[in-house]
Amino acid sequence: MSEKKIKNIFVNGPIEPAFIADSIAKHNSKTAIGGHSIFMGQVRKDEIEGKFVAAITYTAYEDLALEKMHQIREDIFEKYPLNCMHIYHSLGMVKTGEICLFVFTSSAHRKPAMAACSEVVDRLKAELPIWGKEIFEDETHQWKENI
Amino acid sequence: MKIELISFGKISEFINNQNIEVDGIADTDAFKQYLENQFPALKSMKYKLALNKNIVQENTEITNNATIAIMPPFSGG
Repeated sequence: MSEKKIKNIFVNGPIEPAFIADSIAKHNSKTAIGGHSIFMGQVRKDEIEGKFVAAITYTAYEDLALEKMHQIREDIFEKYPLNCMHIYHSLGMVKTGEICLFVFTSSAHRKPAMAACSEVVDRLKAELPIWGKEIFEDETHQWKENI
Repeated sequence: MKIELISFGKISEFINNQNIEVDGIADTDAFKQYLENQFPALKSMKYKLALNKNIVQENTEITNNATIAIMPPFSGG
């Protein structure tokens, strides 16, 4: 196993579009890359029994989530020829229409970047101890559950 | 035996983080039984335990000063 460096993935509040743009721009010196794949999760204004979601508040068991994310990262790098991979997830309140998840994978040719990006999103939704509380416009709430 | 209990998501609404003192509980199966007796609402819920930051997949021995997390289904992303 490679030396263990646990990277943080959590950001407080929404992930700003400018942060995403900046993250893309940082790759212009990495000229071995030929394809990027990006997934962004956005908080959806779901309607549940006549009430609309206004925001989601995220909490996590951070230590365990980061440990688990580290394992997923190692698995993905082993499986796909990636040049790099960046993952950010919000904690705290993210309003509808704002970005709560940003996954960014890069490879020499497009297919590994696209497959890895999709797999990372599937795995992190299933395996990371993160919880979303949907806050409705009337300030009541319900806890989300990933299917 | 001392256990630090932490809870998340929906479960944190009725189980506060707390230090508990229990006797005669040797493993995670016995601890689940204990929890469901203390907090009957858990019986009808899906949840997983993490023992010292490892998700419990099969019955595992608990030692003194363990940290046990009670986690409802995940909903990140």
